[in-house]
Amino acid sequence: MAIATARSSAGNQARTRRRRTKNVFLWGACGLALVLLVVPVVWIIGGVLANSLPHWHWNVLTTDQQGNGGGLLNAIQGTFLITALVLVVAGVVGIAGGLYLAEFCPPERGQLLRGASEVLSGVPSIVLGYVGYIALVAGVFHWGFSLAAAVIVLSVLVIPYITKTTEVAIRNVPTAYREGGEALGMRSGYMLRRLVLKPALPGIVTGLIVAAAIAVGETAPLLYTAGYSGNGPTFSLTHSPLGYLTYAVFTFYNQPSNSAHQLANSAALILILLVVLLIVVARVVVSFTQRYSPDRQVRVPRARRAR
Amino acid sequence: MSEVTSPAVAGPAAGTVLDRPVMSVDDVSVGFGPKTVLNGIGLPIERGSITALIGPTGCGKSTLLRSLNRMNDKIRGYWRRGRIELEGQDVADSSTDLLSLRRRVGMVFQRPNPFPMSIRDNVVAGVRAHGMASRSELTDVAERYLKEVSLWGAVADRLGDSPFRLSGGQQQLLCLARSLAVEPDVLLLDEPTSSLDPVTTEIVEDLLRNLVPDVTIVIVTHNLAQAKRVSNTTAFLYNGHLVEAGETSQIFDNPEQPETVSYIGGRIG
Repeated sequence: MAIATARSSAGNQARTRRRRTKNVFLWGACGLALVLLVVPVVWIIGGVLANSLPHWHWNVLTTDQQGNGGGLLNAIQGTFLITALVLVVAGVVGIAGGLYLAEFCPPERGQLLRGASEVLSGVPSIVLGYVGYIALVAGVFHWGFSLAAAVIVLSVLVIPYITKTTEVAIRNVPTAYREGGEALGMRSGYMLRRLVLKPALPGIVTGLIVAAAIAVGETAPLLYTAGYSGNGPTFSLTHSPLGYLTYAVFTFYNQPSNSAHQLANSAALILILLVVLLIVVARVVVSFTQRYSPDRQVRVPRARRAR
Repeated sequence: MSEVTSPAVAGPAAGTVLDRPVMSVDDVSVGFGPKTVLNGIGLPIERGSITALIGPTGCGKSTLLRSLNRMNDKIRGYWRRGRIELEGQDVADSSTDLLSLRRRVGMVFQRPNPFPMSIRDNVVAGVRAHGMASRSELTDVAERYLKEVSLWGAVADRLGDSPFRLSGGQQQLLCLARSLAVEPDVLLLDEPTSSLDPVTTEIVEDLLRNLVPDVTIVIVTHNLAQAKRVSNTTAFLYNGHLVEAGETSQIFDNPEQPETVSYIGGRIG
């Protein structure tokens, strides 16, 4: 008995040592992963800030581009316009698609559609741009470089993301909500809106934000479809090329003049701020709509309660 | 096999409408795909009574309960034979409106499932869905039913709060209030107190006693003492068969079937 105890306690010590070593190693690995993630982000943001802030002029926000200088108003307007329309087009199609896959689609067809959607999300964006160029800009439709071509191609690019995140978000809604709704005799459409879509909203919004960030940040498909223009967008859907911020970053940085470099840096700063803004807006929307969610930890402020 | 205390389906000679069972289960078999879960069940559910369904895990109690308001309909492979009637009309008739069936035959689940909306909105969720009260009356409706389930005192000053900050027992009372608010004729309870503490369990049991005879209650329970305490009628199911049904006192004190004797004596299940 005594021997057995001694042996097992020696074994325990060895096990404890092994566990500690493993623990230190894994924590180290986590730390390293964190560093690998944080350093590039800080580097990029720091670099952009250091390059852009010293030469920052507020009038880049209010003036159009003039040759290699001037402002970025045309590009900012173009990016906003393209992103907004992509959110409308791809948002409607993507959310409807995710809803269909999660709620209405027979399982076999669902697998087929999901596979197709994954293939689509794997197609390189420049290929989509080229197809858009052939089909919409030049070949079949003869729209020329235009807003419509840009929006359609970018929408095709982001629809798989929106569909995927929407479907996952809806599937993650607890079945208990649905059961409760059914047991009360709610209409299925009513139940879907009140008890399924609302709790799924954070996931859906996240998908939309990713889509918007992609639309803001894409360059290759736009080169083929939107073209570029130094003037502000004309708001006509076809036969009118328009500017966008990523083009400014890409092209002006390769120009020899200082003023062009400054524009490129300013455009990069604006792009980053736009993405941050998107994330903040999404957080606010999500935290407001999820104030009754079970996993919400923060208490709702007094003023907003009891109504 | 089934032994019931009154005729399963009342004919025209059986008296007034109110004497008829509010629901009746007549020779009902239920299954999923090739598997038969319930076999030839016959059970009248008397108006204004509390019926307890007891039996070991997997005997089909919950399946039977969920067949009464057609909650199994969407499960793959579900089939049913025989008749389940509410006020003489089969619940699966094409003329039966599923939504109003479920309003009239409410259900409370084993685990409390409040909706992700304020406490007040939870209580009136069904009332709203069926348009049973105007917007201005909703808070009054919520108050009435929260009082009915003895939850009003605890939540009166935080009706706008999230229900998930309530304790499990309070959440279950809230779900009861939600079910009662649509004024059901029959309330189906699927082990409603199995996740609750003894004090809340007592509140729920008192509530059930107060609800009859306005509401007819069918309760599935694993707790034999609870069945004995609250129910008028007890039905014992075993392996998908209704072994014995009758007055609760008779089932517990004087069971006729050997399986019932064993189960109540703690030898099976």
